Amino acid sequence: MGAFETFAVQAMHGLVYGMLIFMVASGLTLVLGMAGVLNIAHAALYMLGAYFAYSLTLYLGSFWLGLMISPLLVALVAIFIERFFLRKTYAKGHVPQILLTFGLLYVISEIVRMVWGTSPLRLFEPPILTGDIPFMGKTYPIYRLFIIGFSFLILIGMLLFLMRTRIGIIIRAAVHDADMVGALGINVPIYLFGVYAGGAMLAALAGVIAAPFLTIFSGMGDQILLDCFVVIIVGGFGSLLGAFMASVMVGQLQSFGVLWIPQLALVFEFLLMAVVLAVRPTGLFGEEA
Amino acid sequence: MACVLKLENLWKGFSGLEILCGISLEIQEGERHAIIGPNGAGKTTLFHVITGFYRPSKGKIFLHDRDVTGFSTYKIARLGLSRSFQITSVFPKMTVYENIRNAIVSKLNRRFNWTSLLSQSKEIQRETDRLIDLLRLDGVRNMLAMEMSYGWQRRLEVALTLALDPSLILLDEPTAGVDVKETRTFVQFIKEVTGGKTLVIIEHDMDVVFNLADRITVLNRGQILTTGTLDEIRKNEEVQRAYAGRK
Amino acid sequence: MNSSRAYPIGGIVIAAAFLLLAPKILPAMKVHLATEVLIYALWAVSFNLLFGHGGLLPFGFGAPFGVGAYATALLFRYFAGIPLLPTLALVAMLGFATGITIGSLSVRLKGAYFALITFAFQMFLYAIALKWYNVTQGDDGFGVTRPSLYLPVWGNISMTNIADVYYFTLAIVFLAILATYFFQKTPLGNSIALVRENDVRPSFLGYNVYLIRLTVFSVACLLAALAGGLFVFFNEFVSTAVIDMNVSMIVLLMVIIGGSDHFLGPILGAAFYVLVQDWLSSLTSRWFLIMGAIFIVVVFYLEGGLISLIPSKRSQVGATPERG
Repeated sequence: MGAFETFAVQAMHGLVYGMLIFMVASGLTLVLGMAGVLNIAHAALYMLGAYFAYSLTLYLGSFWLGLMISPLLVALVAIFIERFFLRKTYAKGHVPQILLTFGLLYVISEIVRMVWGTSPLRLFEPPILTGDIPFMGKTYPIYRLFIIGFSFLILIGMLLFLMRTRIGIIIRAAVHDADMVGALGINVPIYLFGVYAGGAMLAALAGVIAAPFLTIFSGMGDQILLDCFVVIIVGGFGSLLGAFMASVMVGQLQSFGVLWIPQLALVFEFLLMAVVLAVRPTGLFGEEA
Repeated sequence: MACVLKLENLWKGFSGLEILCGISLEIQEGERHAIIGPNGAGKTTLFHVITGFYRPSKGKIFLHDRDVTGFSTYKIARLGLSRSFQITSVFPKMTVYENIRNAIVSKLNRRFNWTSLLSQSKEIQRETDRLIDLLRLDGVRNMLAMEMSYGWQRRLEVALTLALDPSLILLDEPTAGVDVKETRTFVQFIKEVTGGKTLVIIEHDMDVVFNLADRITVLNRGQILTTGTLDEIRKNEEVQRAYAGRK
Repeated sequence: MNSSRAYPIGGIVIAAAFLLLAPKILPAMKVHLATEVLIYALWAVSFNLLFGHGGLLPFGFGAPFGVGAYATALLFRYFAGIPLLPTLALVAMLGFATGITIGSLSVRLKGAYFALITFAFQMFLYAIALKWYNVTQGDDGFGVTRPSLYLPVWGNISMTNIADVYYFTLAIVFLAILATYFFQKTPLGNSIALVRENDVRPSFLGYNVYLIRLTVFSVACLLAALAGGLFVFFNEFVSTAVIDMNVSMIVLLMVIIGGSDHFLGPILGAAFYVLVQDWLSSLTSRWFLIMGAIFIVVVFYLEGGLISLIPSKRSQVGATPERG
């Protein structure tokens, strides 16, 4: 098997991970653009998505049921967090908000450890998606192709929604300038709520489909938080396109980095972030400060 | 007569929208110059560019015959250029004394001094007291900036600008929001404390302009319509047209 | 008239007496706790130099602490017999260098971004500590022996007795905290505070805001590294537990619960954390969760932290001198 095949397979790995990161980061960056809030607790939703799916699959016997129900449960958790915690901090300012969302991520991680234990868990992919198929002269796991395909579907759905529907256009406008949209008489808070809940479900979905691919562990929240953060810095605050490009980049860096320096694939993410910060602090697609 | 500030063909745009289009201007030492123009003409942007807050897309800026284009804001401030803000920007939780002292510490180049206590420095204390007297702030010395009335905060805003003993003073609508009764005394205050210094002031209130300035530049849509003395501007037809219907 | 002394002198005298006599009046277990409180107090004070005084909130403040800890442990391990004071001085300088490195990239950012980028740097260092097993032994960690303390007149003082460890720690922590207190009152300390109060105006007054932020960040890291060094000195052990995510939360907990508006707040918070943790962990293994809950409650309902509950004269940012 030649160099090209190895390269292609690694690139596929990278794409898989990149798409997962994008699913989580998109909700984060949209809410950031619309409300100016960097909701750190969002990372916990990804983790909860995986853990809920684990339990649901265990008790209901079906991965697909877990896939469908988990995001709904997580959305409920997200709404609960917004209603009883986040809302109280809007008036108090940025510092309490940052402290709270970080504290929530922490507390949720602890609760997860309490309920599901500290050992990593394994969620198995459904029988239909198990096994490999031939790809580029090698065999490639069907499930990973499923992740790519599924997340591309989601991506296209998102694009169509944001570009072609009236709601989508309003959301894009609000990300640019929420005050202006509000001044046009549009009830921005409702759209914000929708984006928030939708983003939560997307993050949970990412958690569910990531579960068979990466293991489920209580540090999942921190890990995805870091990746999302790199994506937002590199891609630019509030830019969905930037988040997509950056997610793909980060995914590739992880994949190829693991190949070169197995211990420290993180180095490349860091170098990327450091370079972007030094050269173009607002991110590749961010707006000028 | 020395040229304090020279602007050469300044351009500044954002995402394709040009705010300043080829501004050229010279300010001589001791001149009292007002910049007027309709809203959106680019007056505050001009100040931002002169003070280094924005980088011009084209053109040059000379301060005391020195090319300062692209210099950072703090470098330009240290070269003797100081500005005030249209929206009050002081140190809200510090007292008036502490506010002025902040400027003094910078003026005396003691910003990074970590080997002596601030309260023990006689030089800083003396200089701060001197400025407090000069700027008529002795009565409110110990008040927190945020506890003062709006009018007094505007006074502090201007005082902070002057505490650096700048060679060129830029005031951005200093009387904005100040009620009519206080404006007269405030303008008198500005006149006295900036006496003999080079002053450039952005203003909407023409009474203030006539009181403080001897030369006026009219800005419209990022370009200089005309520059001249009070009388010349009053009679200028283009100026009247630009202001027409804007009462 | 000195309005910056907010607490009655009596309280200070009692506290001083207690601190000096602790090893005589407390059982050994409690002296251990007291030493831990001192170390965490220094760490919390360094955090608050950056946060309360400098206005910069870092989520990655475990980084300099961890760097200080590992540096000290490695120096103790590979240079047996290394003198104690020069080691700590070296570690402090290393902390300062760490601050400059991380800070030069981080202080350009504000708010949540600054918080998270410091967190990212810390996780990066955590990954190194975890994976570089040859050097750090990963999450197993390794033990070290305390070197003795050499002083010019006294000669060698062995540090095997907890009382000796306590007094040494007390001396270093006291001096460091005192230095921090006076540092805040210098012109540089004032520059740092005014940048916190208004981050736009200072540059128009001639202040290089970036450099000032970088400076406070580096000084805070220096002190945190010193605390980390004392931590290893005290525990005679190091592992990734000095630089993992928990550590970020611990220092945050201490300062927020204690109160970030007042200089003594973090010290109170450190005492609270160490003592309550000691008590709670004997009751339940989920004490961290309770701490997290207390943290959230304080964020919502007690913005000034615990120290705001103690009645006192308001401590201002600086004292305005009378005319003279």
